[in-house]
Amino acid sequence: MAEERRFRGACGAPIALRRRQHSASCRELAVRGPRLQLRSLSAATSAVWLAAYGLFALSENSMVLSAAIFITLIGLIIYLHFVKIDQESLLVIGSLGIQVTSSYASGKESTTFIEMGQVKDVVINEAIHMQKVIYYLCILLQDPEDPQGVSEVVPLFQSTKPRLDCLIEVYKSCQEILEQRTTASQSS
Amino acid sequence: NSPAPLPERAIYGFALFLGSWFGFILYLIWAFIPETWLFSLGLTYWPQKYWAVALPVYLLVAVGLGYILLFGINMMSTAPLNSTHTITDNYAKKQQQKKFQEEAIPALRDIPISEVNRMFFLPE
Repeated sequence: MAEERRFRGACGAPIALRRRQHSASCRELAVRGPRLQLRSLSAATSAVWLAAYGLFALSENSMVLSAAIFITLIGLIIYLHFVKIDQESLLVIGSLGIQVTSSYASGKESTTFIEMGQVKDVVINEAIHMQKVIYYLCILLQDPEDPQGVSEVVPLFQSTKPRLDCLIEVYKSCQEILEQRTTASQSS
Repeated sequence: NSPAPLPERAIYGFALFLGSWFGFILYLIWAFIPETWLFSLGLTYWPQKYWAVALPVYLLVAVGLGYILLFGINMMSTAPLNSTHTITDNYAKKQQQKKFQEEAIPALRDIPISEVNRMFFLPE
């Protein structure tokens, strides 16, 4: 079963959260950011081309114009492949682990898998980020020596940056799965 | 160590007051009086008059850059989102648990973030 709800990201952009329950101990939560807008693409392209035309008018060198076209094309490809993230998803499998996937606009997907033995907890933390205090979801990794300690913090949803209402939904879903492992270890 | 006025402090203050006035008058003499007049008095070993303008400019530019530098240093020392310093620190790791006593206020301690999250976001 899948449901989708609309929220806002930290910068005000509209995002959508989609929750799918694959089984009793497996859930997938995907946050989708806004697609690349035609108006921002044409604004950036026109700005670069107008600047190049201004340089051409000053210097009478036609290489400036071809260089501008090249830069725009290459820049767009690099942006779509390395920078623009369309969807970030979290797949929580109760006995196995957590998989974090980022899908870029060009279709590239990068995934990270953290096995359940390393996961201490999934929490909402607040920290200072670029002159703002933001809430962000993060996975706390267990320290092998110290059972109470945290060895590493893995922040999630770094580019869509959902706000607290969306994060609370994701947090509750994750905690329902994570609670099952403590009850399972107590009963066994 | 109280900030009350003492005779020694009054003397230090007056000495500093006279010293700063003397330094200021000396700076004005060096900056404005032509070199030939100072040479005729026998005072020849002065720094170049260029510095009478350059040093204040250096100082003001340094003050302006200091604002930007302080802003940058603050941003650099802010912990990144993936560091454990956003969650705990040395004092919290080494804290001791006091025994729970009935009818007494619980001792102050750093509550782990998992517990705080459960309290805030999972209302039972």
